[in-house]
Amino acid sequence: MKKLCIVFSQGPHGNAKGREALDLALLSASFEQQVSLVFTDEGILNLLKNQAPETVGAKDYIATFGALPLYDIETILVCEAAMKELALTEHDIKLEVQFCSSQAIAEHFNHVDEVLVF
Amino acid sequence: MSKFIIQVNSPAYGSGSSYNAYRFAEAAVQNGHLIDKVFFYQDGVLNTNSFNSPASDEFDLQSAWLSLSQQYKFPLVNCVSAALRRGVLSVSEAQENNTKHWNMEAPFIMGGLGELVTGIESADRLVSF
Repeated sequence: MKKLCIVFSQGPHGNAKGREALDLALLSASFEQQVSLVFTDEGILNLLKNQAPETVGAKDYIATFGALPLYDIETILVCEAAMKELALTEHDIKLEVQFCSSQAIAEHFNHVDEVLVF
Repeated sequence: MSKFIIQVNSPAYGSGSSYNAYRFAEAAVQNGHLIDKVFFYQDGVLNTNSFNSPASDEFDLQSAWLSLSQQYKFPLVNCVSAALRRGVLSVSEAQENNTKHWNMEAPFIMGGLGELVTGIESADRLVSF
C-alpha cells in the first residue's frame, strides 16, 4: 500500500485532466492505496455545484466526485488562497473538504509517497 | 540502484515532456537503475500511434522508446481507455470496434490503470512527465 496524492490544478471542461485524474483516484483507491486529493488553482472549479458538462459536449464526470466516500477517499484538501483568488466561498463547494493554507498542503506532500499532478 | 516507474502524459510531438521522459529513462538505465515499466496515460498514449511519421531529419521518439525498451527489457504499456478515447487501437480493439485499421502494435501493449497503480506500489519511485 502506498500513499498517493492526486492534485487537481486545471479547470474541468477545457481538457480531460480532471476526468483522468478522478479515474486514477478511484482506481487507486479500489486497489487499496491510501488516496488523498488536493484542489488548487482552477482545479477547484471541479468542485462547484450545479454544473452541466453535457451542454459543452463533455461527459458529466463531475457527478462521480460524489462517489469518493464510497471509495474511502476522505482527505480532500482545497487551497484557501486559490479559493480567495477565484472569489469562491465554502457554500460553492459541493463536497465535504478541508480548506488549507499553501503551507499545510506542502506539509501534506511530505507525508505521502507519490504526488501526481493533473 | 532504484526501480522507477515512468508515467508519460504528453504526446510524442508538440510537447517536450515526453522527450524529457525518454531522456530520463535512458539516463536511469544507463546508470544501472531499473525501469519497472513506462506507462502512457492522457495524451501520452499518442506516443504509441504507429502512424506517427516524423520527417527523416527529426528525432523519432517512438522508435527511440522501442529500441530503449528492447535493449533494457522493460514494457511499454498504454492505458487502454485513454488510448481508445484518442483513437489509438491495437488489432484486437480494431476488431471489437469493427474498424478496418489499427495503429498500435507490439511491443507496445494495452493495459488498465491498475497496471500503473501496481507499478507504483512495486517501484521505489514514480516519475511523471
